[in-house]
Amino acid sequence: MVESKLLVKGTPPAPLDRELTVVGKPLNRRDAAEKVTGQAKYSGDIKLPNMLYGKILHCPYPRARILKIDASKAEALPGVKAVLTKENTKGWRTSWYKIPEIAFPEVFTHEGGEVAVVAAEDRSIAQKALELVDVEYEVLTPMMDAEETLKAPPPPLIGDEEYPGREIFDRKPFVIKRGDVEKGFKEADVIVEETYTTQVSHHGSIQTRACVASWDGENLTVWDAIQGVWYSKLALADSLGLDPNNVRVIVKYLGGGFGSKAWSHRTTFYAAKLSMLTGRPVNMERTRGEEFVNHSRRWDCNIEIKMGAKKDGTLTAIYQKAVANMGAAATGENYYCMQIIWHTANLHACPNVYLEQIGVYTNRQITGPTRSPLNMPAIFALESHMDRMAVELGIDPFELRMKNYTTYQTVGTDESEDPAASGKSYDTKIPYSSKILDQCMKLATDGIGWEKRKILKHSNQGAVKRGIGMASYIVLQGVGLHPYVAEAKVAIHHDGTINLFVGVVDIGGGQQTILTMIAAEELGAGVDDITVIYGDTKDTPYAPSCHASRLTPEMGPAVVQAAAEARQRLFGLATSLLGVGLDEIRSKNGEIYARSDPVHSIPLKTVCNRITPGLPILGQGSRAPNPKEPMMATFGAQAVELEVDTETGKVNILKVAAAQDFGRAINPKLCTSQVYGGIEFGVGYALTEEGLYDPQTGKLLTKSLDQYRMPTSVDFPSVDVYLTEVEDPYFAYSAKGAGENTNAPTPAAIRNAIYHAIGIWFNDLPITPDKIIKAVQERKKKGEIRAL
Amino acid sequence: MKNEAEIRKNITLTVNGKKVERHIAGRMTLAELLREELDLTGTKVGCNRGECGSCTVILDGDPVLSCTVLAVEASGRAVLTIEGLASQGKLHPIQEAFVEHDALQCGYCTPGMIMSIKALLDRNPNPTDEDVRRSIDGNLCRCGSYPNIIKAAIDASKKMTQR
Repeated sequence: MVESKLLVKGTPPAPLDRELTVVGKPLNRRDAAEKVTGQAKYSGDIKLPNMLYGKILHCPYPRARILKIDASKAEALPGVKAVLTKENTKGWRTSWYKIPEIAFPEVFTHEGGEVAVVAAEDRSIAQKALELVDVEYEVLTPMMDAEETLKAPPPPLIGDEEYPGREIFDRKPFVIKRGDVEKGFKEADVIVEETYTTQVSHHGSIQTRACVASWDGENLTVWDAIQGVWYSKLALADSLGLDPNNVRVIVKYLGGGFGSKAWSHRTTFYAAKLSMLTGRPVNMERTRGEEFVNHSRRWDCNIEIKMGAKKDGTLTAIYQKAVANMGAAATGENYYCMQIIWHTANLHACPNVYLEQIGVYTNRQITGPTRSPLNMPAIFALESHMDRMAVELGIDPFELRMKNYTTYQTVGTDESEDPAASGKSYDTKIPYSSKILDQCMKLATDGIGWEKRKILKHSNQGAVKRGIGMASYIVLQGVGLHPYVAEAKVAIHHDGTINLFVGVVDIGGGQQTILTMIAAEELGAGVDDITVIYGDTKDTPYAPSCHASRLTPEMGPAVVQAAAEARQRLFGLATSLLGVGLDEIRSKNGEIYARSDPVHSIPLKTVCNRITPGLPILGQGSRAPNPKEPMMATFGAQAVELEVDTETGKVNILKVAAAQDFGRAINPKLCTSQVYGGIEFGVGYALTEEGLYDPQTGKLLTKSLDQYRMPTSVDFPSVDVYLTEVEDPYFAYSAKGAGENTNAPTPAAIRNAIYHAIGIWFNDLPITPDKIIKAVQERKKKGEIRAL
Repeated sequence: MKNEAEIRKNITLTVNGKKVERHIAGRMTLAELLREELDLTGTKVGCNRGECGSCTVILDGDPVLSCTVLAVEASGRAVLTIEGLASQGKLHPIQEAFVEHDALQCGYCTPGMIMSIKALLDRNPNPTDEDVRRSIDGNLCRCGSYPNIIKAAIDASKKMTQR
């Protein structure tokens, strides 16, 4: 029997020594029927008797100070029940990723900061009341561009001006080094140096942030739009001075998160406060414009890379300097201080690296988790540069990656988020718990028809040119340390009912389906025999927020442990029925049987009848932290075939072949959907999506879905998904986690394919038609472009 | 001059086959009427300005963005929403196909997406992939479920024409 290394506290349960009957099946998601019939109630659909409607007044300037604020006219408007401003909320703090922030400040550090909130009998009264709040601002000069901001010392803080997290990250370099980078460049036959720039990008969840808060004088109940109910519960209790036991947060359905809803937003803090003040439930729902202007976003980055290699392709040195625009606040415990350089340190083998990342605080919108947060700029730059190097060396890009393939990692997952680890030399080689990126690269390139690359080069005669490119990626997987500790409970009742208690939100990845499948497999029960209690802090144990592909790798082992513990107790009631010892008993598909005699099985429900009514059998599971060794990560590769119209600048993606090493897919149907989601983000980031600012005022210009252009049904390419399987004993049935990261390689694969099509490198995202036309025209002038 | 908000109108319309009469504010949108007056919250509002398509309903046979239609404009007409598709607890073939092909993730765009496809299949029972793509080009799905949505629409069209 294989020794179990499952990441749980205490002794891990022995692996099931039978074929799997649930895991790996393409089952339909459990909440699909509610969603296709319109019966699913999202937070903004909740309507309570006597409910008030809240609205927020936003500061229209990136940096400004309130000179005078008068809400008396708003307060006097009939139908207005409460108005909050800095005048009546002194000392109150909300939080952004555990870093406290002044609930209503005097000085605003980004456009869209909250000036006042109103609760009224209906939305139009609330809106009218906002217009009656008199505010006089002193408009201050904002810091916008990171490079420009770095040229001068930070301006002195004014009034109560604060930038959460600034003392840790602002202008401070975080460094990963290994070997001797100078020596490495001396050994190189070819050195390639480039600068890559990436844009501000947004989540674009179709459900805007919405909540309903209801205070009954003792207990606060919130129907929230957040990726983690437990995060919301604890943050609300902390900010409002309540006992967490008196706060309940419910999220049964979430209309897209992608990181935007990973942490509590002010919307919820305000709704709760207004409900406590008025004694009535309060609905607070944001408009699409508010969603853009007053929400976290992805960091815009500037990344210099210098890479050296020998003639045979062996990498000898990488130097990288990355500058990230942090905006006016960055995340607290999960601050990604090394996340633009971590991938460069680990994706390809290279003995000598010096990698530096600097964060710059500005007056742009705050930054936070955004589907593959800094992986996107990091992988775009690194994998673009690998292709550049391949061309300089005259080596096939796939072969170059294989030449520098590595089976070990050097910088740990916890270290990548620990400022104290900066500057340390990482020379140890730690193996991975599992890695088959080589297979993924082979599958993706075979899937796209990589051999066609040579033919295409000679057949691109018209204005429309065809090209093929690839990219690979690595993402760290799981943590298990606070706040990502994960707990699960299973209860089996006398009547055969089985409950799985998990304090998680199903954000659309199918989390409740996946965890139920894991429990069903481990119990040997049918999936439909299990009722899962989720998306509610009432009755569920603590669970992490559902972000960073976290739920399956963090929660999976805890669910296995809880189900195995309950199952063994149930088996204890079956020994006399089957006439064999505990170790000989097995279960599957709702039947319990002796290992030696599977034909004579007893229905699981029959054994349940032996459970004392009212005293269910319980099982509990807790995730243990990731060990120092081995390293845990997921991998993947994508290859893209596309056409570039050299006259219109339009890029038409014909096909994406996406191959993933997720360990094993618990549910391949849901996993495939996750890959599509990644491609949606990747294509948009590569070609169309960009948050643009007015250089004069520093205001965000792209505040609507027609200006911020996300891929639609006609832009979405044909995608072939390849899910590989590899044993990884640390996770539940080898499932390492899948959801978030499949967008990471897409932009570089697209960019590399564009080069293959027209022979021009684009280093600045997004690669819009105007940039392509301009570059083509410049080449034509110089007579450099082939066959135009 | 009277405030626009105070102008109220009587409207009569059919929603999912049922007659509805209301005295409403002239500025109320069809989406607001459905969600707030009739408690039909299956119709979602993602932008309230005709950019995302999640509020799509069928008005006299045509797909419309209910956030850009005034409730008074719907008076005397027939509205079909996502709640009106399943009959007697049985899912409509488009809904069945969405479940089977995992044509949804977070589910927020799903009602609008399904109504756009219903309108397409009503006028074109045998669409191509390209027809489906065009029919939902105003319905944004940030989860990127487009490939499965197209598969579901084609599958539903086949099952519906076989009946």
